[in-house]
Amino acid sequence: MSGPSPLRRLLPWAVVVPIVALDLFIVVRNPGDLDRLLINMILALSAFVTLHAKLLSLANAGFMAIGAYASAIIAIKLGMPIAVSIPAAVLLCGAVALVIGMPVLKLKDVYLAICTLGFGEMVRVLIILTPGLTGGPTGANLSTGFPYEAMKQTKTWMLVALLAFLAYLFWAISRSRIGRAFRALRENPQAASTMGIDIVAYRRMAFLMSAMIAGAAGAFYAHSVGSLDNSDFKFNRALDILSYAVLGGSGRWFGSLLGGGFLTALPILLREVLGASVGFLKNFAQLPNIINGLALLLVVIFLPGGLASVFGARHGRRRTESAAGPGLLSPDKPAAAAVSGEPLLALEDISRHFGGLDALSKVGFTIKEGMILGLIGPNGAGKTTLINLISGLFPPSSGRIVWQGEDIQHRPAHRVARAGIARTYQNIQLFRDMTVLENVIVGRHTHIRTHLLTTLLQSPRERREERNARAEAMALLERLGLDGLAGEHAGNLSYGDQRRVEIARALAMHPRLLLLDEPAAGMNEIETERLGEFIVDLKQHGYTLLIVEHHMDLIMKICDEIVVLNFGRKIAQGTPALVSRDEQVLEAYLGRD
Amino acid sequence: MAALLEVKDLEVRYGSIEAVCGVSFQVEQGQILTIIGANGAGKSSTLLALSGLVRPSGGTIRFRGEDITGLRTDRIVRSGLVQVPEGRAILNPLSVEENLELGAWTRKDRKAVRPSMEKVYALFPALASRSRQLAGSLSGGEQQMLAIGRALMAEPRLLILDEPSMGLAPLLVKTIFDTIVAITRVGTTVLLVEQNARQALRISDRAIVLSHGRVLLQGPSAELLEDPVVIEAFLGKS
Repeated sequence: MSGPSPLRRLLPWAVVVPIVALDLFIVVRNPGDLDRLLINMILALSAFVTLHAKLLSLANAGFMAIGAYASAIIAIKLGMPIAVSIPAAVLLCGAVALVIGMPVLKLKDVYLAICTLGFGEMVRVLIILTPGLTGGPTGANLSTGFPYEAMKQTKTWMLVALLAFLAYLFWAISRSRIGRAFRALRENPQAASTMGIDIVAYRRMAFLMSAMIAGAAGAFYAHSVGSLDNSDFKFNRALDILSYAVLGGSGRWFGSLLGGGFLTALPILLREVLGASVGFLKNFAQLPNIINGLALLLVVIFLPGGLASVFGARHGRRRTESAAGPGLLSPDKPAAAAVSGEPLLALEDISRHFGGLDALSKVGFTIKEGMILGLIGPNGAGKTTLINLISGLFPPSSGRIVWQGEDIQHRPAHRVARAGIARTYQNIQLFRDMTVLENVIVGRHTHIRTHLLTTLLQSPRERREERNARAEAMALLERLGLDGLAGEHAGNLSYGDQRRVEIARALAMHPRLLLLDEPAAGMNEIETERLGEFIVDLKQHGYTLLIVEHHMDLIMKICDEIVVLNFGRKIAQGTPALVSRDEQVLEAYLGRD
Repeated sequence: MAALLEVKDLEVRYGSIEAVCGVSFQVEQGQILTIIGANGAGKSSTLLALSGLVRPSGGTIRFRGEDITGLRTDRIVRSGLVQVPEGRAILNPLSVEENLELGAWTRKDRKAVRPSMEKVYALFPALASRSRQLAGSLSGGEQQMLAIGRALMAEPRLLILDEPSMGLAPLLVKTIFDTIVAITRVGTTVLLVEQNARQALRISDRAIVLSHGRVLLQGPSAELLEDPVVIEAFLGKS
């Protein structure tokens, strides 16, 4: 393997050095611009959080306004120190985000953008309509009872400290379980949810964080500028903030700092520095906007991943040793002794309609602990629909799914996954831009016992849990013969290898029931045979499996029982020997030679 | 006479992975050539390079005597080399007929499009009865037929099929292989990549075996069916 070319290695510097130099130049020329620069970088981070979670939110300007006015009012009208008013304003933004997040986050893409934009305007209108409290259309200044001296209280070092704290927070989160979950849900929310990641909760968390950071930036803005006007928080502010993060790239957080740093400094440079010396620029007030737009356009076209993408993709940081811990290849509740043959999962009269189509009608069977159940049938018989129902991607139209005595037919996918049901997909659903190793570690998500606090403190537990998860993921990859590909992007692998990574990722969850949807598709006969041996090995370690497959040799060899579907109905069930002689099965599926 | 397709020292890389490292082979007019190989051997990457969907990092591809290395995919399709992608890639929200019409997108002889469609319907009667249905609502087997039919709408000189039997029920696998033979009878040359090596070798004239991005073996399919290395690595006992 060869490393990146020398040119490629220089590229990050070619982006970072000019931007830092530009910012330094602006700040040295007028130290007063430093506050603006730092605040914009903080705002850039706030937009990054939502963008990273695939939420196209334009609410940042609104939250900035709430933070600014709330802190100003608490500090001036209630006479509190800013050490109280700023945190209070941030908490208020968090509370507002929680409330409006509930309905608003159900929307996607451009609908979310429009709705959050509306929120920003609403905040502004509210400010204009409450002159007694906020100064209304006149603004929060001396004439409305917000004297400049009392307002302007922050020192630049506070902003530096806040930005440093946020940078640390983002760095720590990006390498933690939480950061990994965000990357997973950003790439493939469906697969993330069947790994046990509560994607709704994570989206809410992103919206909340974004709001609180924007609120903090707003509060500091109020006490740094010394007066406020509702026009500071208009539509163009929302767009500016978003463009910092877009320019920086939605993949990695430090890109936003570059984006914010560049787009803040550029107009200042053009307007004030060049404008003073080059005469015609003085009369061309729109030029900075045009140049900003042009810069954004160029980056979006030539660097779709944003400025941060010049740093290359995330890679496994350290060499990872594998460690075959004791329960490497066993389900969570070790069943070796307890392969009881008790029913683990029971389907009762399951039906599912899509429009006028009956994908499944009154299908029922049970899966006993420790067995391999084969599910076969012609294409379009409803096999994948059944697996989707069991894994909670959508509920059945009628019927019950009973898991260890409990009804689970209305549970969302992440809760089904946590209960111990893992799956692979017929059309592979890997996190393509994450490494193979990371994909498998996502499978450990619900088992890694770390949270925001351990991440923030980088506690010994955080490091131990992460190390263990990596080691175990590595051991699983070794077991499947994929360890040589651990550092590659999953999307670069061949079809059959991707299938194996999916199996490794599902096994990392230590499920009690593993649903495999056409695991041998794209494998040749020898590879299929090896897969069969591996599956039987899993059974011997206490796993229970349901397998959809068209390779009849494989199905006949490894299954204890087979269920045959045709046009959404069960047409046969029994041992492989019995099913392979069944008249209806021969007619509909196997054919006669 | 020169071969229809001549591939010389083809190389494809993805980042640090070398998927194809110096593959050479030829496809003769009117024949079926099969490529077999383990997962990750470079089969799909070779096909993607032929269709211009990935840029080769080295080597040359000559089709009908002309160098097509690194050309854009639409230009390659226009010259008569058409691929049925792995996993079908049909256009779900369009009807069967619309999918087929799009297959003829690059053709200049618009009058001849309708007869082509009739030919496809004759080959796959199941599609004819579902011509107004949305492609996404077809079963897996019908989708595969549609993908092949769509490629045939371009009236290709060379049809490339990437794992056409994947994910299909046993009965349908047989239908698909029968269809491939039927397609070559009317003069279309076929390049076939298959995991179902036994069936593929049975219907093809020649075959190459890829391993780790290189050509391990090549020869008449009938000989490779008897080759101990092929039996050991791809066919298994039975």
